[in-house]
Amino acid sequence: MIKLENVTKVYKGEMVALREASVDIDKGEFVFLVGPSGSGKSTFLRLLNREERPEQGKIFVAGKDIAELPGYKVPYLRRNIGSIFQDFKLLPSKTVSENVAFALEAIGRPRSAIREAVPQILDLVGLGKKANNMPDELSGGEQQRVSIARAFVNRPLILLADEPTGNLDPATSVGIMKLLDRINRTGTTVVMATHDRGIVDTMRRRVIELDRGRIVRDQARGVYE
Amino acid sequence: MAVRLDYVLKETGSNLARNFTLTFAAILTVAVSLALVAASFLIGQGINNSFLGLRSDVQLFIYMNPGATADQIQSVKKELDRSAQVKEVDFYDQERSFEEFKRLFKEQPDLVATITPADLPQSFRIKPTSSDADVVSALGDSLKSKEGVLRVEYAAEYARQVQRSVRTLNTWVLIVGAVLIGASVLLIFNTIRTAVFARRREIEVMRLVGASNWFIRLPFVVEGLVHGLLGALLAALGAWGFDALWKRNFVNQVAFELLNQIRWDSGQLWQAIAIIFAVGALTGAVGSGIAVSRFLRI
Repeated sequence: MIKLENVTKVYKGEMVALREASVDIDKGEFVFLVGPSGSGKSTFLRLLNREERPEQGKIFVAGKDIAELPGYKVPYLRRNIGSIFQDFKLLPSKTVSENVAFALEAIGRPRSAIREAVPQILDLVGLGKKANNMPDELSGGEQQRVSIARAFVNRPLILLADEPTGNLDPATSVGIMKLLDRINRTGTTVVMATHDRGIVDTMRRRVIELDRGRIVRDQARGVYE
Repeated sequence: MAVRLDYVLKETGSNLARNFTLTFAAILTVAVSLALVAASFLIGQGINNSFLGLRSDVQLFIYMNPGATADQIQSVKKELDRSAQVKEVDFYDQERSFEEFKRLFKEQPDLVATITPADLPQSFRIKPTSSDADVVSALGDSLKSKEGVLRVEYAAEYARQVQRSVRTLNTWVLIVGAVLIGASVLLIFNTIRTAVFARRREIEVMRLVGASNWFIRLPFVVEGLVHGLLGALLAALGAWGFDALWKRNFVNQVAFELLNQIRWDSGQLWQAIAIIFAVGALTGAVGSGIAVSRFLRI
């Protein structure tokens, strides 16, 4: 599903964010990216949805080398990749269901399909009753569920999560991880950057550790350290 | 993938409302600049329509008697052809004079209806080899006494000067109009940039979920286009008002002996309005197009 071959990413010509990284991730895998701040975790994720382009190497997503993808095709790549973040990136002026619907409107889905899909996905993330609330009326965990609903409503092949529990307390984080685990069980490949030792050690999934842009460990059913 | 029209209209509408002051400034600047361009166009057309013969270097007119015989005309023509001072000579028979008369007075059909070709004198229009006043008047004098010649007229240096001044003034109006169009492009560019900034969260999410470039850009481009077209609408009203004012204050006033020669017909007014809308749309599209391509990169 995802394959990196000798990928190097350098920012502003000096700061090396990723150095000769080679990774192979199969369809349906759940992968943790760990490592200190600045070790290249976010860059790793940003390379996968073409927010960034590598200086060297090849990145295959679903069989295509996305480093060579022409700009006008990038939106179609991103329709197969859901993204969630530490800061949720919800639109404060839209209700919960409007936030989710926005993702479908933006890719031109017909209104009837949107009306059907949005309540379904909100039920799946456990927010069926809060469809008409505004984001600032929700707790952090609930807001992250909305952003997961938005990322997953289009049933992407891959879900990228950049420290999704970074702003949440441990109890809430467990709920979010259960949700991501459920999504992973539907066959969606999940790549998650995290600092949360507890989560990594409990879930016992594949762990890729980065240090100053190098992959220093790649371990099936791994732990944080 | 088609971009839904109602979506574009809704987004454009809310952008226009959100940035009301900037939008207003942009539209007004577009309107003023286009109105100047239109006024300049109309005056330019008017100058071309006016001052019979002055637009070329014809400096001498020889009008023949209405009853002049073919022999008399032939003899004047021979004399002109022989003269070393004549560079070019053009003969207007009655039909041709009538055509010209109809063109010059086409806004006054009543007048045209009372005239037939037979009422008009035939004439020679002469371009001398030298524009020196002495040479020209010597040439005129030598022909004045020929059989069948009604009178000789010289293009008045005075009329020529008025024409030149109006033309210079008109060039400056056009230059100011063009500079203001440049300012309009910058204002629209800035307005769109502000709109992009105000919607940066939405744009970030749209990019993340894979909205196509045009889906993100179109509402902004349409917004710039609306600026241009609304400005053009105001300018068209202005041009229409300018047309009415000019006709009332100059064309129909006997007192302005030369300015009242500068006139244009309704077809040229429509041309001016078409130019207003074309330039307005272009101004809006260029301003927003630059903003969008600079601030909405993938």
